[in-house]
Amino acid sequence: MKRDLTKVRNIGISAHIDSGKTTLTERILYYTQRIHAIHEVRGKDGVGATMDSMELEKERGITIQSAATYCSWKDYHVNIIDTPGHVDFTVEVERALRVLDGAILILCSVGGVQSQSITVDRQMTRYNVPRIAFINKCDRTGANPYRVTEQLRDKLNLNAIMIQIPIGLESDMEGVVDLVSMQAIYFDGEQGDQIRYEEIPENLRDEAEERREELLDAVSMFSDELMEAMLEEQEIADEMVHEAIRRGTLSLELAPVMLGSAYKNKGVQPLLDAVKMYLPCPMDVENIALDLDNDEAEIKVSNDPEDPLVALAFKLEDGRYGQLTYIRTYQGIIRKGDTIINTRTGKKTKVGRLVRLHANEMEEIEEAGSGDIVALFGVDCASGDTFCAPALNWSMSTMHVPAPVISLAIRPVDNKAQTNMSKALNRFTKEDPTFKTFVDHETNETIISGMGELHLEVYIERMKREYSAEVEIGAPQVAYRETITSRADFNYTHKKQTGGSGQFGRVGGYMEPLEEGEYEFVDKIVGGVIPREYIPSCDKGFQASMQKGTLIGAPITGVQVVINDGSFHAVDSSDMAFQQAAKGAFKEGYAKANPVIMEPIMKVAVEGPSEFQGAVMGSLNQRRGMIIGTFEEGNYTVVEAEMPLSEMFGYSTTLRSLTQGKAEFTMEFATYKQVPKSVAEELMKKYQDEKNEG
Amino acid sequence: MGYELLVNQNPLRALNLGRTNRQLGLVMARAGLGKTALLVQIALDSILRGNRVIHVSIGESIEKTKVWYDDIIQCILHDYSVSRPHELIDMVARHRMIMTFKEDAFNRPRLEERLNDLILQDIFRPNCLVVDGFDFENADRETIEDMKEFVDSMGLQAWFSATSHRDDDRVSPTGVPFPCHEVDDLFDTVILLKPEKDATIQLDIIRNNGVETDSATGLKLDPSTMMVKAI
Repeated sequence: MKRDLTKVRNIGISAHIDSGKTTLTERILYYTQRIHAIHEVRGKDGVGATMDSMELEKERGITIQSAATYCSWKDYHVNIIDTPGHVDFTVEVERALRVLDGAILILCSVGGVQSQSITVDRQMTRYNVPRIAFINKCDRTGANPYRVTEQLRDKLNLNAIMIQIPIGLESDMEGVVDLVSMQAIYFDGEQGDQIRYEEIPENLRDEAEERREELLDAVSMFSDELMEAMLEEQEIADEMVHEAIRRGTLSLELAPVMLGSAYKNKGVQPLLDAVKMYLPCPMDVENIALDLDNDEAEIKVSNDPEDPLVALAFKLEDGRYGQLTYIRTYQGIIRKGDTIINTRTGKKTKVGRLVRLHANEMEEIEEAGSGDIVALFGVDCASGDTFCAPALNWSMSTMHVPAPVISLAIRPVDNKAQTNMSKALNRFTKEDPTFKTFVDHETNETIISGMGELHLEVYIERMKREYSAEVEIGAPQVAYRETITSRADFNYTHKKQTGGSGQFGRVGGYMEPLEEGEYEFVDKIVGGVIPREYIPSCDKGFQASMQKGTLIGAPITGVQVVINDGSFHAVDSSDMAFQQAAKGAFKEGYAKANPVIMEPIMKVAVEGPSEFQGAVMGSLNQRRGMIIGTFEEGNYTVVEAEMPLSEMFGYSTTLRSLTQGKAEFTMEFATYKQVPKSVAEELMKKYQDEKNEG
Repeated sequence: MGYELLVNQNPLRALNLGRTNRQLGLVMARAGLGKTALLVQIALDSILRGNRVIHVSIGESIEKTKVWYDDIIQCILHDYSVSRPHELIDMVARHRMIMTFKEDAFNRPRLEERLNDLILQDIFRPNCLVVDGFDFENADRETIEDMKEFVDSMGLQAWFSATSHRDDDRVSPTGVPFPCHEVDDLFDTVILLKPEKDATIQLDIIRNNGVETDSATGLKLDPSTMMVKAI
C-alpha cells in the first residue's frame, strides 16, 4: 500500500507547564477515536491521562517524557509527540522538535506568554517548526485571548492572527466564531463531540467582520489570488483563505491563533482541522542529513519511499515490553526483517518487531513509510543515532546538547539496589544526553549530573519505581569549574634517581586563558629539545592536570598550553617521565596564572502579580542575583535576573511563601561566571577541610 | 574605574553631561532616526562615569532593550581599545537596570513605588533615569511638571525621548516641535535629531543645560552604527 504523504502530519504539542497540553492531547485522542473515555490529568478515576503513562507523571500531574502516539482525523494520519513543559526537561522538548514538522503552541488564556513559552518558541524557531497557537483555558476567570494574541506579537515576535473569536469568555464561554467561514461553532453533548454550526450571534457580528478584515489583510500577502479577489471585491472562497493561511504558516511568517477550552471540550475539533489544513506534511519540510563518507557534506533527504532508508532514533524507552526505540523515517521504507545500519557505531541490525504507538498500547505493523514515526523493539542504540539502509552512511545532524550544571552523589542501600541502579543508570544515560553519571574515584561515590534539581529528582524516583533501586542521595552540588585569568610561564624538571633506570624530563613554556574552548595544546618545540615521541606525553600530562584544579578540585577549562622549551636524557627520558614533567609544569604555571573559580549562572524569570515585585527583587538580590530588568503589564510583572545556581536551591519554597504561592519561576542555564572573592574563599576552605579530613 | 579615557574621548562631552547632578534632557526626532541609540549612549556614558542608570522602556521588551546596549557596547569596543572587554560588559550590566512597561502601565506613582522598592532594599540606587517611549501626545503639562518634580526629588538626572511627526508643524518659539512644543521650557537640554542630505543625522541642540544655543553643535549620528560622532 502506498501511503499519501500529503496526508501525514507529525506534530508536537508544547507549551508552559500546566497550560493544559496533556488535557488537550487527551481530547484529541478521544475525538479521533483512539480512546473511548476521557481521563483527566488529575482525575478522580485514578486512571490518569492516557499520554501520561509513566507512574510518576500521573502522580505529579506533569508529563515528563514525550510519548509518541498517532491518530486519524478525516483520513489524515497524525503522529503526536506530547512534550514535557518543565524547563529541566528541555532536551526532551528539543529532541521532539527535531522530528516534528509542525506544532501546536498552547498558551493559557490567563497566564499568556510566560517565560517557558518563550523558551519553547525559541527552540521552535531554531528548528524551523511552523506553528499554530491555541489559547486554552478560555473558560477560566480572567481569560483574555486578545491580550495573549498581543503578547504573541510583542514577546515572541510572531505574526499572530486570530482566525477565531470567542463566543463568551470565562464561565460564559459557549463556542467560537470561525472567521474564515463566518460561522458560529458550538460543541454539544457531554463530551462536546456534536458540533453545531450556527449564524454568528447578533452581538458579535460587528467584531467578527472587523477581525475578518484584519485576518484577510494579514494573509492576503501570501496569496496573489486572494489579494486580487479582495481588490476587485469579488466573493472570497474559503479555500482561498485557507490556502493563504497555510502558505503563511509554512513560511513561518504567520501564526494562526485559535482558541477554546480543552477541559470544557471546546474548540478541539476545529484545531484538528487546522492541523490538517495549515501544518506541513513531511514533504513540505526540508530536512538535512550529513554524509559521513563525504566529509559530513549536507544532503537533503528526499522523503521518497523508493530511496534507501534514513531514520533517526529520537527516543528510547524501557517499558514492560522491553526496549523500545522511537524512530522517525526521512526517506525510504522500514520493513520487518530488513537489515539496517546504525551509522554511529557501524553495527548492523535486523528489524524485529515494528510497532505504532499509542501512549502505552501498541499495534504491530509490517512496514512504515517515509515521514512516519514508529518504534522498534530490541535495537541497541543511543538516542540521536541514525539508521540507514546498508547503501548509505548518513547521519541526521547532531542535536544541541547543553552541559549539565548540577550533580549529586547517590549510594545504593543494598546489594540488590546496587545491581538495579547500574541497570537504571545505563538506561537513563542512553535515553537522555543531558543526564550523565560517573564514579568519583577518590570517594568511590556514584555521581549523577543533569540540568536541574527536578531533572535529577525525577530520575531518582524512576530508579525507585521502575528498577526498585532504592538509593540514598547526597546534597546537590553545583558543577563548579576553574580557569586561569592571566598568562604564566613554567619551566619544570622532573628528575628521579632511585636505582635502576631513572626518570628525566624538562618541559618549558607558558599557559594563557583561552576565550573559547576548553583546552588547547600548542607544540612550538624546535630543534628536538623534546623528542617527537614525547610530545604526546606532554599533552597527556597537561590534560590529566586539567581534570582537577588545585583550588577546589573542580575541572579546569579555558586554558591554552604552549610548550617551547625542554630537555631530555638519552637513557632516563620516557613517556612516563614527560607526563610527570608536564604535570609538574602545569602545577607550577597554574599557581602563577591567577586561577579563579567559575560557577554556573542561570537565567531566571519570576512572574506574578505586581504587588510582589519588590519582595521578589529583594529575594533575588539576597541570593547574589543580578537583576537584568522588569516588565509590567496591568497587574502582572516579570522580573528577569541572572542568578548563581548555588543560590537557587530551595528558591521555590521561598518564592511560594513570599507571594502566597501566586508567583512562579523558571530557570535555564546561561553561562559560567567567576565567583566573588568571599564565596571563593569559603569554597576553598571547605575543600581544604574535606581534604584534610579525608 | 579606568574608563576615563573612554569618557573623555566621547563626543557627547559637548552636552555638558554630568556637570550638574540635576539635568532634565529631551531627545526628539521622527520615528526611526535614532532616539533610542542616542539615549543608550547617554546612559552608557553615565555608567562609565560610575553612575547607575535605570532605563525605562515603554512598549518594548527587556530583551530588545538589552540588545540596544549590547550593540552599542560592541561599537565602542570596536572603535576604542579596551583592555578587558568582559569587565566592561559586566560593569555595564551591574550598573544598569531595565524596566519595561506596557504603554498603559507606566505612570509616576508606579515608577516611584518601583524606585523606592529598589532603594529601600538597597538593591539598586540610580543616579540617572532614561525614559524611552513616553507618550507626550497624551500627557498634559501638569503630568510633565509632576515628572520633573519627581526626578528632582529623587536627585536624578533624567532623559526622555519624544517622537515628532512630519505632518504636524506646530512648533515652539525656540523651535521645539509637537508634541513637546508647549512643555519644552521644562527641560534643561533639548536635542533634535535631523536627517541631512548625506544620510547622516545632525544633532540639533536647541538648549544646552539651560542655555539657548544657535544649534551649530558639530555632532552627528553615523547612520550605519548610530554612534555619535564629531563632525
